[in-house]
Amino acid sequence: MPEIKVTVNGVEHEAECESRLLLVHFLRDVARATSVHVGCVVGRCGACTVLWDGKPVKSCMAFAVQARGADIQTVEGLSALPTFQQLQEAFCAKDAVECGYCTSGMLVSAFGLLGRNPRPTDAEIKEAISGNLCRCTGYVNIVDAVKSAAQTSAASISSR
Amino acid sequence: MGGPLPMVESRRDVDPQQVPQVGVATSRIETRRFVRGAGTYVDDMQLDGMVHAVFVRSPIAHARIVRVDCTAARKLPGVFAVFSGDDLSDAMRRGRGTGSALVADLETDYLARSKAVHCGQAVAVAVAETPYLAQDAADLVEIDFEPLPTITDPEAAMREDSPRVFEQLPSGNVVQELHFSTRDLEETFAAADLVVRERLRSHRFAACPLEPNVALAQYDARHAGLTVWVATAGVHGVRRTIANALGLGEGSVRVVAPDVGGSFGAKNGTYPEVVVVAALSRRLGRPVKWLETRVEHLAAAAHGRDQIHDVEIAVTSDGRILGLRDRIVADLGAASSVDNSVSSAVLYMTGAYDIKSYQVDAYGVATNKSRHGSLRGIGKAEAALTIERLIDIVARQLGQDPAEMRLRNLVPETSFPYRTATGAVLDSGRYTECLRQVLDTAHYTELREQQARAREAGALRGIGISFVIEPTSAARRRVGGGYGACRIRMEPSGRVCVFPSLGQQGQGHVTTITQIVCDVLRVTADQVDVFESDTSTSPFGFGTGSSRSSVTLMPAVHVASNQLREKLIRIASHQFEADPVDIVVEGGQLRVAGTARPSISFQRVAEIAYNDIDQLPPGVEPALEVTGYFTNPNISYERDELGRHNEFAAYPYEAVVAVVEVDRATGSVSILSYFSVHDCGRVLNPTIVRTQHLGCIAQGIGGAMYEELNYDEDGLLINSTFMDYLMPTVNEIPELTLGHLETPTPFTPLGAKGAGETGTLSPPAALGNAIEDALSPLGVKLRKTPYTADRLRRLIRAAEGETSGVTEVGAWRHA
Repeated sequence: MPEIKVTVNGVEHEAECESRLLLVHFLRDVARATSVHVGCVVGRCGACTVLWDGKPVKSCMAFAVQARGADIQTVEGLSALPTFQQLQEAFCAKDAVECGYCTSGMLVSAFGLLGRNPRPTDAEIKEAISGNLCRCTGYVNIVDAVKSAAQTSAASISSR
Repeated sequence: MGGPLPMVESRRDVDPQQVPQVGVATSRIETRRFVRGAGTYVDDMQLDGMVHAVFVRSPIAHARIVRVDCTAARKLPGVFAVFSGDDLSDAMRRGRGTGSALVADLETDYLARSKAVHCGQAVAVAVAETPYLAQDAADLVEIDFEPLPTITDPEAAMREDSPRVFEQLPSGNVVQELHFSTRDLEETFAAADLVVRERLRSHRFAACPLEPNVALAQYDARHAGLTVWVATAGVHGVRRTIANALGLGEGSVRVVAPDVGGSFGAKNGTYPEVVVVAALSRRLGRPVKWLETRVEHLAAAAHGRDQIHDVEIAVTSDGRILGLRDRIVADLGAASSVDNSVSSAVLYMTGAYDIKSYQVDAYGVATNKSRHGSLRGIGKAEAALTIERLIDIVARQLGQDPAEMRLRNLVPETSFPYRTATGAVLDSGRYTECLRQVLDTAHYTELREQQARAREAGALRGIGISFVIEPTSAARRRVGGGYGACRIRMEPSGRVCVFPSLGQQGQGHVTTITQIVCDVLRVTADQVDVFESDTSTSPFGFGTGSSRSSVTLMPAVHVASNQLREKLIRIASHQFEADPVDIVVEGGQLRVAGTARPSISFQRVAEIAYNDIDQLPPGVEPALEVTGYFTNPNISYERDELGRHNEFAAYPYEAVVAVVEVDRATGSVSILSYFSVHDCGRVLNPTIVRTQHLGCIAQGIGGAMYEELNYDEDGLLINSTFMDYLMPTVNEIPELTLGHLETPTPFTPLGAKGAGETGTLSPPAALGNAIEDALSPLGVKLRKTPYTADRLRRLIRAAEGETSGVTEVGAWRHA
């Protein structure tokens, strides 16, 4: 079995794993980043979304070996960033969370969006999370939360 | 490696200045944990020595199991054990069918032994060091099946000569039969100006929470005790089933649900796989975890809806509904137990309307599809769809506006509490006002004018209305649901620990409970800890479902909080030598009103109650631990001489106006706007209620337009993953305009009716009405769900004279 090394939230994790081990399982079981959730394993629900070199990627759609050399970030690591915290605050304020299972993926997709597009339109927000399923909230509050976070961020930039 | 984490919400983020109150929008306590990625779902748990189970599932819908050969599977490295149903026959007693409406008791094996009765049924299990190796082993299990004739048509299944799903059942495939009639049917139908007959079908789909089913069982041989962590909505029911199956007392089985990623009914009851996992842990002496894949979930987790209604409605020429006659055939799949789908459809066919004559003959039929179970709105959604579509169909025939026809027939406000033909007691409502409010908000008259102009321009635009009631909080004998319970303990420090009888899977119970406790005890939220879903500590409960938390649990929390408050007052007033009436409770302190005397803290009262018990007033017992109950109100357990009874306690409702446009070429539907006015009685937390309602609407749209479980003639489930089972994404949610009314139920102290299901009922009804309205210039009739583009396109083409050889648009066909 190959030695697989993946850098997760800045820490290198190494384990002897089967080469067919999916990245999502490496993250959850080896790196113990359990914020990354498994919902469908066919890349449809987005509960497994992580940042891969800054881009939102569905981690069930990659093998762990493919992430060698990549910088993988999950909610556990992103929570240290003030810009991510703004998004988390917005999710709390807008009641964008119910059972919490889609939340990590939603946050990562939204954070990926705001990183490349700090002033997204509603349509752009929806497109960014169109690969993330939520069964509980009906999405309305999630879109509001992302919008609110973008506005907060814009306000804090313009006030400097 | 980590063991189970304590289920206490982090309090450090809760605003210490805030005293949450009932009825005030309060942000959820648990959100903070989830946005940090710190939720603990069963699959997050790892225990020392844990192994993984993967089930072998029948690829055939109906077959005798002739031979199961696990030899090759067992030889794989890393594989711990592989078992057939026969191998585990001494590890578990057989399961007994549940549901008081069952025609006869049915015993079944948790792991199939002699027969497979649906595609996806678990027939063997492999246990290995990793789930990947367990799947490899499962793939190597060789099973010889002797195929049997497949039963997929519930009406055909009712025939005498039909093959039987359960051979031991004398009634053939009819597992449930219910009949009801008022005494005046013949005269009523004879007196009608018009009788309309229609056949309306709801299709099969699933609740599909984002977290699949998952269980982790740990048997400790030293104590002969079992702990099972499971994503369930009802820990006590699971405990009972496992205890019975394994021959253990309930005291030896602890069932815990940590964070659960949604349920919507799918996690009510006990899945056979969970029982097997528990048995495996005892057999193997290791913790055993099972996480189902989405393919398994779609194939083997409980399905919902799927009823045929052959219905007749008798009306006067001015649109007054005189009577209703319905024959229901419900496809319950390979059900060894029955749920509420048939009984609730039977009870609520008359909907929100004053219809005095009613007859129903209902049959729950077993077929070789996956088992049927609770799906948000179970039974009530099927009834609502039928009556709401029927009203629009009749209104069109009479040349009446469907809004006018509803206004003519809605139960008037002065009639509440209103007893329906079946004996249901609708608790309270302002139905007419609600409908008028949504029509106003939608500017209904203008919508019709816009529609006329759009039609002139060639657009297929439609407007649909629905008015649905959503009976909540069911209770009946044998099944339960009779009450909610809550234990509250004030600790020696003055902090409060709360133990409710029901748990949450996203409904925000912890927050609502905290609001109630804080509101009564006048403490801040950071002083309250809620522990739920653990059979060791939770008072006995019936599982979260039927939207019963607002109706039975929250009042029980209220009762217990007040009991504790009164005890605090009694103890303090004794210290003060003051009248209890003069004691004020605020900020964790008790003081005598209108004096400058120093207050006594909760902590001091606790010290007296626990330690300095000589200071207690006479007749007051030590400690500060109370259990409050609230009995499910407005329930009749027995039928009266006319066969009537009331099975549900409270009746929230919703009026909807939906505007759609159908693309003539593709059949796809754009929902241009969706207006809702929702009344769930007293709103305990407006934020939570609104979000629940939005989620209901989204799930309802999914069930109306996109989600379907299709079986072919061989009983093979065609939609097996999220690639072909289409859950609504953010893009499927239209612009929503929400309004509300608050008409409390008179039957509970808090007045709340439950908000967990109502919004799910309207989309199939309102959108069906809107789409048929849109296609009415073509003469298209819509009698089945879902309203997929594919089906609508075929209907449009058929109506326009371009037949494609498919006249009956029903089951999915390969292109």
